[in-house]
Amino acid sequence: MEKINFKKLKLKVEKEIKEAKDLKELDLIYKSYFGPEGTIRALTKTLNKLPEKKKKIFGKKVNEFKEFFQELIKRKSTEIKEKVERELEEKETIDITLPGKKIKTGTLHPLTLILQKVEDIFQSMGFSIVEGPEIENEWYNFDALNIPKDHPARDLWDTFYIKSEKKHPKKTGRLLLRTHTSPVQIRFMEKNFPPFRIIAPGRVFRHEATDARHEINFYQVEGLMVDKNISVANFKAILQEFLNKFFEKNVKIRLRPSYFPFTEPSFEVDVLCINCQGRGCSICSREGWIELMGAGMVHPNVFKNAGILPSEGWQGFAFGLGLERLAMAKYRINDIRLFYSSDLRFLNQFQL
Amino acid sequence: MKFSYNFLQTFFERKLPQPEKLAQILTMHAFEVKEVEKQEKDFVFDIDVLPNRPDCFSHMGIAREISAILGLKMKTPEIDIKEEKGLRTNDFLKIKVENFKDCQRYTARVVFDVKVEPSPFWLCSILKSCGLRPINNIVDITNYVMLETGQPLHAFDFDKIFGDQVKKIIVKRAKKGEKFVSLDGEEYDLDNEILVIADQKNTLAIAGIKGGKKAEIDENTKRIVLESANFNSKRIRLGSRKIDLKTDASLRFEHGISPDLTEFAIDRAAYLIQKIAKGKVLKGKIDLYPHKILPKRILFEFEKIKSLLSVNISKSKVIEIFQKLGLRVISEKKGKFLIEIPTLRQDLSIQEDLIEEIGRIYGWERIPAILPTTVLLPAKKNLDVFWEERAKNILKEVGMNEIYSYSFISKRDKEIFKFKELVEIENPVSAEFSYLRPSLIPNLLKVIVKNQHFFKEIKIFEIGKVFPGIEKKEKKMLTGAITGNAFFEAKGIVDCLFQKLGIPKVWYDEFQPTPEATQNSIWHLKKSAEIKVNHEEVGFLGEISPKILSALSLKNRVVVFDLDFEKISNLASEEVIYQPISPFPPVIRDISVLVPKSILVEEVLNKIENAGGEVLIDVDLFDIFEGENLPEDKKSLAFHLIFQAKNRALNSEEVNEILQKIIEALESEGWEIRK
Repeated sequence: MEKINFKKLKLKVEKEIKEAKDLKELDLIYKSYFGPEGTIRALTKTLNKLPEKKKKIFGKKVNEFKEFFQELIKRKSTEIKEKVERELEEKETIDITLPGKKIKTGTLHPLTLILQKVEDIFQSMGFSIVEGPEIENEWYNFDALNIPKDHPARDLWDTFYIKSEKKHPKKTGRLLLRTHTSPVQIRFMEKNFPPFRIIAPGRVFRHEATDARHEINFYQVEGLMVDKNISVANFKAILQEFLNKFFEKNVKIRLRPSYFPFTEPSFEVDVLCINCQGRGCSICSREGWIELMGAGMVHPNVFKNAGILPSEGWQGFAFGLGLERLAMAKYRINDIRLFYSSDLRFLNQFQL
Repeated sequence: MKFSYNFLQTFFERKLPQPEKLAQILTMHAFEVKEVEKQEKDFVFDIDVLPNRPDCFSHMGIAREISAILGLKMKTPEIDIKEEKGLRTNDFLKIKVENFKDCQRYTARVVFDVKVEPSPFWLCSILKSCGLRPINNIVDITNYVMLETGQPLHAFDFDKIFGDQVKKIIVKRAKKGEKFVSLDGEEYDLDNEILVIADQKNTLAIAGIKGGKKAEIDENTKRIVLESANFNSKRIRLGSRKIDLKTDASLRFEHGISPDLTEFAIDRAAYLIQKIAKGKVLKGKIDLYPHKILPKRILFEFEKIKSLLSVNISKSKVIEIFQKLGLRVISEKKGKFLIEIPTLRQDLSIQEDLIEEIGRIYGWERIPAILPTTVLLPAKKNLDVFWEERAKNILKEVGMNEIYSYSFISKRDKEIFKFKELVEIENPVSAEFSYLRPSLIPNLLKVIVKNQHFFKEIKIFEIGKVFPGIEKKEKKMLTGAITGNAFFEAKGIVDCLFQKLGIPKVWYDEFQPTPEATQNSIWHLKKSAEIKVNHEEVGFLGEISPKILSALSLKNRVVVFDLDFEKISNLASEEVIYQPISPFPPVIRDISVLVPKSILVEEVLNKIENAGGEVLIDVDLFDIFEGENLPEDKKSLAFHLIFQAKNRALNSEEVNEILQKIIEALESEGWEIRK
């Protein structure tokens, strides 16, 4: 039997493995030693002919060599794999500035976005949402709100009337499209007992010429808070809180005198133009202030008409917020007609 | 209403703040000044006087406000009449008021020897500032005094009134069918709802609204009758509506001015006529005022200010504000004031009115902001609103644009869609907006028409109220429209919507219209379906009929789903019950069936499901194929069949057995299984 110099063999193997270029070559090297035709395999075949003692020593040496060999192979193959992977990644570069795959979603109408925000803020302050009908009668839209028949105050609300062959009942009067959301106040108070706080969003209608500021249908959010000792100061605080949250910054408001038959005192609430900070721009019609709502303390006659006795000490505030005005201020829109234009070039801008 | 800065200045010794500054002060404490415009040497204020303040439809009224806000002392306009001793008004003029309900007060004077000529420059320029056209000194003075005091006046040519020596003026209702020619030559038809000023023969004026040609002042006029009356506000309002004429006078009357104004105003006018037109004012005046109104008294609790405004104002400050406004404190006892209200201020009648006066004069900006201290109850969840918001978000996520359309439809829409029982508007703004929408569909389709030039693919929806008829309740609908051959896309969206709203078991039924409905249907008869949940129809899905498409000039086909949102909102649920996940692997087999084109997929599915039994947990149609290599009247449907048992692993023999049953069931229909 040929004497094997394992030392030499190790050096040889080390060199061969080091020079292997890829996994395939490595595999060939492995096979040339441990494969069926391999050097070591051939050696072990002759092993049986050796005496027991030599066999043991030789076997030990073969194993040692095997371990040494496998360790080398393992290291080299990891090295080659890493290299290959690295090269693969190198080759697979992409242009990350290419556009992403288009995921097409739709849009919510800007007034929906605004309304959801308004509802969230008021609900967080304990205001429940209620709704009312769009076709109303004269009682709920006017009389119950302390706006008597044949009173010039009715001219403040240019009204659409519904054509009807039937004679209208004396108390409820003619059918009409509600000119404000205030009738919901009456409908709610008839069925509920104070204290309460509600908002009533909805569509309202005015018979007027349309322009950048006016539409024949638009949205209001009615607010009503009734309790003992609710005051103008409370209204100011709730409103300020609402507007700060809505515009996500501290906004400046002002109250100025106004007249609504259903509130006393009454005021108009303006917010300092978000766009121009009062310098005057197209959003605020160059006035510096944006008229947001009419408001006031609920008139005793309104309580009475809804079946609540003011003598029991209930008092509170009510307001009618113009949703479009709020949306115009928030999104810097300068023409109310856009909301009802259904122009997708407008609507597609609200990808929120 | 227009006001002259120079005119306002005449009521004060002290200089008024600069126009812009004054405008701001008025806006914050009284009325909104919408515009300040320089006009020659004057500034014109456009003031939005509130409708409950007819006392401020005058420069004196605004001056009173300025005086109260700024604490400036106000002058009363000069009156210094030198009455003719020998000539008594009573000897020349008689007044008869037929009904004092129509006319609370009638005050008249007679002036002789007037010289009618153009007004002096200062008078003309004030009238022009206020938007009035100078005519002659007599007419101009009556207008000037109206601007000054708020009391409309009228002057008649004494000699044109019927009668010889003594003239008689009657305040009465017009006769039905009576014709009247106004100063500017317009003809009006009157009736007995309209109040007029007449002599014994002719109608001279429509009371409180417009003067007539008959007794017009002209350059030859020498003797005049001045009228300063208080007409019933409702009567004037009614009359003005009937003849469709609003004038500076009618505006003031219909808002209800104080009857106590007539005397001051007529004396002021007589004085100016004496001064400017050199007229001789006859002795005495006629003043019919049988039911004199008395100043109101309001009991006012001091504590109420604190309760309503949450502000600490001293008693002396409150009294000061009342005095500045001309309100008299009659007595004070234990924090309760008795306040006398001048008759000019008809708007003040309860203590809340007085609190408003305090609030605005003191300044709303000085009221602090204080959060209420009250029990914090959480808001009640409104399910309708909740589901509406959820539905909108779902449709947005699947790629639809939400739109808001008008609540109205046009006469043309009515014809195209053959709507009946519409709710009609009595006073529409135009034919475009004649009826309330009975459905959201017409406006959605019109939105597509509008956008079709810019977008190839349009998917829109709206949630809104519709009005099915005057006797029927308005209801909330959810309607979507998709362009193109999109029936199944729309159906998929409806499925997705129902699933996400937690509504199981949605069913689509073939649309089987009555013959009459077939005629008028807006739907494509072969491509529409009723949407049902629990055997109840909740909506409709279908392609819009080609005749509607062409009537509206729609370029593309449109598929619409139209859902009763109230029903959907009632069915919606947030409940989910967890189903245990089977630990046993599913077995999937594919099958392909050749069926006649007329067979609905639903029918094939039903056969498969019935034969498959409970271990067949899902059937998924993955391919429909028609055309090449297939007989012309056939289509090929390919399904994934998914088998899974809850309690055991299915073996291949078991699955093959069930599959064989399915194949037999399909073949028994004469359908061919393609291997």
